[in-house]
Amino acid sequence: MSSSLTCTRLTIWAFAAVLLQIAGLSLFLIGFFPVKPTLPGFSGPESYRMPTSDPVSDAEEVEELPPDRLRSLYREVSKIPPVYDRLILMVIDGLPAEFVLGRGNKPPTKNMMEAMPYTHSLLSSGKAAAYHAKAAPPTVTMPRLKAMVSGAIGGFLDVAFNFNTQAMLEDNLLEQFYRIGWKLVIHGDETWIKLFPRLFHRQDGVSSFYVKDTVEVDFNVSRHLEAEFASTDWNFLILHYLGLDHVGHIGGRQSILMAPKLKEMDDVIKRIHMNSILDQENSDSHTLLVVVSDHGMTDGGNHGGSSYEETDSLALFIGHGVEESNYSPYDHNEAFQVDIAPTLALLFGVPIPKNNIGVLLTKLFDSLTDDQRLRSLELNSWQLLRLLKAHLPGLHCGESSCYSCEKGLETNVPTSEAKQRLCYLFSKAISAHNSWQFRQHSDFISADINYFQVAAESYNDFLRNASEWLSHRATDKPVNVLMSAIIMMLVSSVLLMGIVFCLFRRVHFAQVGCCSQLEDPYKILHLDEVFVFIVIFLHVLSLGASSLVEEEQYTWHFLTSTLYLIFLSRTIESLLKRPNSVTLQNKDDKTVLPHSSPTDARNNSGHKFTKFRPSKINNHGTCRLFSVVVVLICGRLLRGWHQGGVNWIYLPDISKLLVHAGTSTIKVCQILSLFAIIILGSHAIFKLKSTTNFVYGVWSSLLLSAFLVMLHTMENHIYDLEPMNLSTTSIAQVFYVVASTSAVLTFLASPWIFPVYSMEKQMVYQVRSNSCSTKQRDSFLLSIRETTYLIGTTYTAFWCLLQLLIQQPINAIPILLIYLQILFSIIYFSADRSFHRQWVEVAAIYFLGLAGHFGLGNTNSLATIDVAGAFIGISSHSAVLSGILMFVITYASPSLSYLSMVMYIDMKDITFISSTHEYEWSIFLEKMIALPCLLPLLFNSLVLTSFTIILLLMRNHLFVWSVFSPNSLNVYHCCGCLCLLCFPGKAGDKYHAH
Amino acid sequence: MGTARIGAAAASTLHSLCALGVAAAYFLAQRVCVLDLVAHPAQTLRLLLVIEAPITIGVYSWLRRDTHGCSVWKAIGRGLLALPVGAAINAFGAIVLGAPVGIKYWTVTAYWSLLMSLFTFVPAACAFGPSRMDWQRILSFSKLLDAVDYMISVPAYGAIIGAWIGAWPMPLDWERPWQEWPICVTYGAIAGYLTGMVASVVFIVALHRKVHAKGE
Repeated sequence: MSSSLTCTRLTIWAFAAVLLQIAGLSLFLIGFFPVKPTLPGFSGPESYRMPTSDPVSDAEEVEELPPDRLRSLYREVSKIPPVYDRLILMVIDGLPAEFVLGRGNKPPTKNMMEAMPYTHSLLSSGKAAAYHAKAAPPTVTMPRLKAMVSGAIGGFLDVAFNFNTQAMLEDNLLEQFYRIGWKLVIHGDETWIKLFPRLFHRQDGVSSFYVKDTVEVDFNVSRHLEAEFASTDWNFLILHYLGLDHVGHIGGRQSILMAPKLKEMDDVIKRIHMNSILDQENSDSHTLLVVVSDHGMTDGGNHGGSSYEETDSLALFIGHGVEESNYSPYDHNEAFQVDIAPTLALLFGVPIPKNNIGVLLTKLFDSLTDDQRLRSLELNSWQLLRLLKAHLPGLHCGESSCYSCEKGLETNVPTSEAKQRLCYLFSKAISAHNSWQFRQHSDFISADINYFQVAAESYNDFLRNASEWLSHRATDKPVNVLMSAIIMMLVSSVLLMGIVFCLFRRVHFAQVGCCSQLEDPYKILHLDEVFVFIVIFLHVLSLGASSLVEEEQYTWHFLTSTLYLIFLSRTIESLLKRPNSVTLQNKDDKTVLPHSSPTDARNNSGHKFTKFRPSKINNHGTCRLFSVVVVLICGRLLRGWHQGGVNWIYLPDISKLLVHAGTSTIKVCQILSLFAIIILGSHAIFKLKSTTNFVYGVWSSLLLSAFLVMLHTMENHIYDLEPMNLSTTSIAQVFYVVASTSAVLTFLASPWIFPVYSMEKQMVYQVRSNSCSTKQRDSFLLSIRETTYLIGTTYTAFWCLLQLLIQQPINAIPILLIYLQILFSIIYFSADRSFHRQWVEVAAIYFLGLAGHFGLGNTNSLATIDVAGAFIGISSHSAVLSGILMFVITYASPSLSYLSMVMYIDMKDITFISSTHEYEWSIFLEKMIALPCLLPLLFNSLVLTSFTIILLLMRNHLFVWSVFSPNSLNVYHCCGCLCLLCFPGKAGDKYHAH
Repeated sequence: MGTARIGAAAASTLHSLCALGVAAAYFLAQRVCVLDLVAHPAQTLRLLLVIEAPITIGVYSWLRRDTHGCSVWKAIGRGLLALPVGAAINAFGAIVLGAPVGIKYWTVTAYWSLLMSLFTFVPAACAFGPSRMDWQRILSFSKLLDAVDYMISVPAYGAIIGAWIGAWPMPLDWERPWQEWPICVTYGAIAGYLTGMVASVVFIVALHRKVHAKGE
């Protein structure tokens, strides 16, 4: 009774530690990625008034005006006539500004110049204003589009919604244009349509789903050009070209397709510009062409991070208002992507979106009068001040009371330096503007250009500072919150460590008490045990080096392989030792274990897997040797499969070779690995001692699922002709149903299947074990083990089949390799159960899972998450389902390793419990389940805690969060698996009560 | 027997002979043949191998365990035979740990693993021959008996650990030419080998102290 109490207590403690960990992690996430206060609603006429401290007067005038009246109202109150009346926004997905504007102050390379002749002629003749518009990370399309049209930098969590594009609810340019009655037309990426589902007058979306296609996506946009030029019903035309991004994804920056694609884009620019010149001549309508890119790309063509190559996006303005300047067009004009929104808003006479943090690009306002230019700066300042007030409650410097800056400093008791500084700058700008106005009115002749410049500069000063402060708000981290979060995580780690240590000691003493095959516990640790600690230590250490984080796949492969090489050397050592001392060993065993004969004990768990007869001990050694070598070779193949990471991605690897070889080769690989997995899975299932009808049922459902996967593979080869194949979708759906029902059924039914069997078998077993006192317990243990074994094998086999279905075709063989690795590790561990301590074995399987995670081509960058697989078998767009599938794809390998632990616990040496009377079966449960559950959790929490500490220390390096998100997901995942692992334990509990 | 035969002074002399071999080969490569490990890894490794092989095989054949039943020539023959076998084992280890397998790397991998075999496998093969127990003792690194055991195992483990540590800078993005396979690994192995030699002399001195203390 008391021991069962400790068992419950253990569970409670463990759960408490996990909950604490999750709470700490969530707190850290909140602290690290703060949710900025955003202003609700849309800017209206009130944005043309000085912001007051009274929120009521700001929020008035809610009544809806008809578009025409609203437009004239805006024109009236803004005091700035719209410079243009039509806008064409051409988005070239993934175009780095470097291609057009060069890097630093140097023009781009010669072949880049030659690829875009028209654009460069525009630039050099001063008809276009170009900027390096720095994009904020994450450099993924949807958040970037949002930033462009709203001027706000979304939170990091926006990325999570990139795959689930929802309608944009915040204030944005498109909505503002729509309100003044503009007609909007979109041709291109359907992200726009998802963001703004009801705003477009005419739309033709293309999907970026098929990344391989670089021609059709752009043709589908360009084919509308003639019609749109001819029609006059639109005011705002968006053209979003995806082709260049696809070219990058396929071949990187240096792809041979790049120059022709740039040429194509140049031709589009030429056509649009020619047409707008014609328009201008014919009907005096002014069109502004804005060519922007949403993000850049790395040398390998990926994006998502915050490197210069990825954030270096383009903003190119072509219109009559752009005045020739005496600067070289290739001077490094730095701007921010968010600056596009206020610039366009002011140029077209609509209110600036409420949450904008951008600053207008003054170059484009050069054609206006001084008064209008200052007015536009003022409007932008007012808008930013309103936003500042939301961030800094109690900011009062906008009042007329502090026109004098010195006075303002004194009267306003500043709560922070930022407040004080921004206040001062704003007051200074306002007063400079006022004195300029005063000069204008009082003394017309000496309207000094100097005063204008002072006013403009002080406005710019305020705007830049405010914008910078607001954008830094996104990365501003409250250290107190982070520290407390880290302390919580540390406590939870220590708690877990304590639990594991207690458990280890208890189990260990239990083991030593009855079975001294292990050397005494005070002996120094073996090399493999020391090395597990070294692995964790080195991994934590490697997280501190950014380039090692980028190349984490090498770290894991190297460490895991080294661990298995150590296993290999220990195996060879024992092989060398055995033949001389085998008789001695056997004698020892017999004297220590009077209750059960050692050979019998070996038979129990050994021969289930080993293909070799376990009669000779030497064969165990050979089998172990063979298994370790297989694991090592599979690991090396996995490492060579995908050249992941950042720096060495261009090197050749097996997947590139296979892609080059063509789809039929990949298909053959898929079928081969499917057959291999089925053979291995059936082999594992039929290693069960009892083959009841239930087992046959499980097996046949496995075969059925495999057949479905094969059908899906066969059907899939025509997918390039037909995007959404109905039959493949339904096949995948049938597979999901079959696999999940059989997994659930196996799990629920097997504890009730095997007791019957064990009662029948008891007689036979009794004879074999020739120990009367423990026969019942033995049979009970046996049935428990059969149960967990069946559950484990079924789960792993179904999981592999599921992965074959939804992973990229190229990953079929790696799935097989990981499955092989795990199976052979289990064979290796079960061949001689006392060879390694249990925690080393659990750690080894855990490490295999992580090494396999990177072997499947995953990296710490968001760019490698496979999106295409997340839609297999889903007929309608569902965020939850595709999210689950994406999770399943990404964490395929760690999950497989956790699931295989269910299979592995069956292999453990539990015979010693049967030989003792004083140890309750709860110890056996503890040993069997608790350690495999808790050890990965402990490792994970150690790594996570140290990683958060590293993050805290390096919080100003932006790259870290691209690494952090996969890692933080991992702990949630691990917790989920803990629950999954605990269920068989509970089932066993129930069974015991029964 | 072995303890009596090999003192700390003799061990350090023999070790310095091997170390001198490495140093001589290195300087010969740099000064005379104008070879650099970074620029010409294959040639430099070959030179190291050619100079180091006779010294190591000679020294450890002289140190053979079974002095009566086995002539020096037989021990040398064992060493020559063990060289490619050890190289195969080392190459397996290196490739499994991630050494590149492309055709252009074959020669350097071969030379590197021959050199590693010279540091690790060949000394044990020369000294022990097919004696199972000796091999097992060296592998388990627990009950090392005498000075010869230390002289063989400590530098060998040093070379392996050195090579293992030497592989860590390889994936980093420093873009240095020495990050190529097998240059930094070779540096690490040689450094580990030399450190292991010093450590083994220290061990032998400690062993003698213990023996003396027990004797008194």
